[in-house]
Amino acid sequence: MSGEHEAAVESGAARSYPFQFEGTGGEYFGIWIVNLALTVVTLGIYSAWATVRTRRYFRGNMVLAGHAFDYHASPVRILIGRAIAFVLLLGYNISLNFSPYALLVWIPAFLIAVPWLIVSSLRFNARNTSYRNVRFNFTGTLGGAAKAYIFWPLIAMLSGGFLMPLARRVRDYYHINNHSFGGRPFETEFTGWQIYSRFLIAFAMWIALMVAFFTFIAVSAKFMPHGKAVSPNDIAIMAPLILMIAFLEIGFIVVGIATMAMIYNLALGHTVLDGRHRLRCRLNPLVLAWVVITNTLLTLATLGLFYPWAQVRYTRYFLGRMALEATSDLDEFTSEAFGTQSAVGEEIAGFFDLGIGL
Amino acid sequence: MIEGRYFYPHATRFVAARASAASGMLRVEALDGSLLNEAPAKSLRLSPALGRLPARLSLGDGSHFESDDRAGIESLRRELKLRAPGGLLHRIERSWRGITLAVLATAALSYGFVAFGVPFIARKLAEATPPSIAVAMSRQTMQILDGRALAPSALKPKDRARLEALFRKVSAHEPRGAGGYTLLMRRGPGVGANAFALPDGSVVVTDALYALAKNDEEIEGVLAHEMSHVNHAHGLQRVYQASMIPAAIALLTGDVSQVSQMATVLPGILVQSAYSRNFEQQADDDAAAILRAMGAKPSRLGDLLLRLEEVHCHKGGCAPSWLGSHPETAARVERLRQETGK
Repeated sequence: MSGEHEAAVESGAARSYPFQFEGTGGEYFGIWIVNLALTVVTLGIYSAWATVRTRRYFRGNMVLAGHAFDYHASPVRILIGRAIAFVLLLGYNISLNFSPYALLVWIPAFLIAVPWLIVSSLRFNARNTSYRNVRFNFTGTLGGAAKAYIFWPLIAMLSGGFLMPLARRVRDYYHINNHSFGGRPFETEFTGWQIYSRFLIAFAMWIALMVAFFTFIAVSAKFMPHGKAVSPNDIAIMAPLILMIAFLEIGFIVVGIATMAMIYNLALGHTVLDGRHRLRCRLNPLVLAWVVITNTLLTLATLGLFYPWAQVRYTRYFLGRMALEATSDLDEFTSEAFGTQSAVGEEIAGFFDLGIGL
Repeated sequence: MIEGRYFYPHATRFVAARASAASGMLRVEALDGSLLNEAPAKSLRLSPALGRLPARLSLGDGSHFESDDRAGIESLRRELKLRAPGGLLHRIERSWRGITLAVLATAALSYGFVAFGVPFIARKLAEATPPSIAVAMSRQTMQILDGRALAPSALKPKDRARLEALFRKVSAHEPRGAGGYTLLMRRGPGVGANAFALPDGSVVVTDALYALAKNDEEIEGVLAHEMSHVNHAHGLQRVYQASMIPAAIALLTGDVSQVSQMATVLPGILVQSAYSRNFEQQADDDAAAILRAMGAKPSRLGDLLLRLEEVHCHKGGCAPSWLGSHPETAARVERLRQETGK
């Protein structure tokens, strides 16, 4: 069965539509800095309007097969969500600084709040995003969110990280398989071995880093003067060591981002829309790491002014590596999806759907 | 005539089309000139201008006309007297003057917020915090420290008596009076020579610090410095400051992408150590005033600070002052010397 399906794809029945991002750093800089200025002037209240403007800019410049995506959220909902998150964050920080035992109160509160925040935020974003008049939707349940964000991470932790790949798969399934476009489901599926192999590669990279680091320490220890206490003020000895620690730190970040890239490739690359159109995601793990790290360094070096270019550069790279392989005419499909959408009920975000920006 | 695309009501279907205005009506026609749709000006709605995104005119019946011809749409808008949502924003976002103004306003207001707003709010909150909370907080801190970093003092009774007498002498000059502060003597193998204050008025002094001091005035200086932290509720203020900065950053950036996560940690640390340095300077100034009132030399506190730095920086290496929680020792010592000359 699946062999036949593969053959149909190979024979050219599928047409690949690349995603494109048409926003530019210079243009977004103007939008971003005006957003920021108004947010500061209004003591944060404008941030909700700023978020809508930013998302509209990013969705509106995301183009597939000649058509852009669109974003329709109401800033007021985001403002309510933000206010709740701000008060929670402030309360959490204050109480924890007063007493470490406050954590005992916060843990049960988080157990209830986190799944709710995740579901309402995902649903809010999906329902407010459209492509050619057809809305996306998210139908994940609270229980599903609790499983994906609390139960499985806990299990993964208790197993000493051994079950982490499976926990990650539960989360990706929850995210992707609960999204739909005009009522047509997104579905992803991959084997346990596939996700484990990505984590094994990450683990191997981590081991290689540690080996390189300790080899360096062992070799340099031989050249150190013996019998003399090493002073931390001795630049000649400390400088290479600090460099090596910085190298190790950056190495860890590279491994982390590269792992994320491999997981995106796997989870998104196996995603099928309505059982027929396949997503493609071909991120180069090292290139993604390079993009993120140089973005961060440039943002820091420019006191934040590079941030808009960083966002555009990241989005451009990410979307540039994605495509939709459609097995039937995309125009017809969107029309069909538009039809089923009204049957599902074109719900606008309900009262409890809030944009938090997760 | 403006070139664009007409999207049929509530559908994904579209055709290439032209739009024009005539006697208060918008007319959308196909390329062959046949009428596709028309609507009066009052039912039209124009999407807010943003970047180079195409302008979208909703006709009110679920259909819309979309065009990349921004200038054409603008003249159409004037002709039909439509509202231009976000028009001013769009102009500011694209003008160099607007952007420069936004950069300056953001920088000035962020600086004002960080330099004056946060410390002011933190001070007001600290003043409004009931003493019972300060007591509970301090008790818990001591419980945690006593189990781990700190052990009971091993000072001889003679030394204890001397330290207690000095403590009483200094606290008599302090605003809370002799009963307002509690001396806690501890030994901290990992802490070394150190002294710190807790919000409820407790002042912890380690044996190593006592041993490091060469005369009474040096000890008095340290005690007055710590009591100043108590008087101004610096501990509580620090809690409020530390809580406000992450929440403010989250509110400003509004997203938790990898870039912003990494890029906001460092500024947060820098800002908080800057606050801490201000507290230390205030405590030094207060200590100098108290020492002078007792007829002692403020520079004596500076002597002890120099010795403290020598001890600490030999062990762990000292962070540069812009990163540290305390101002540079040399600058503190110089300031205390000037206080002595007054």
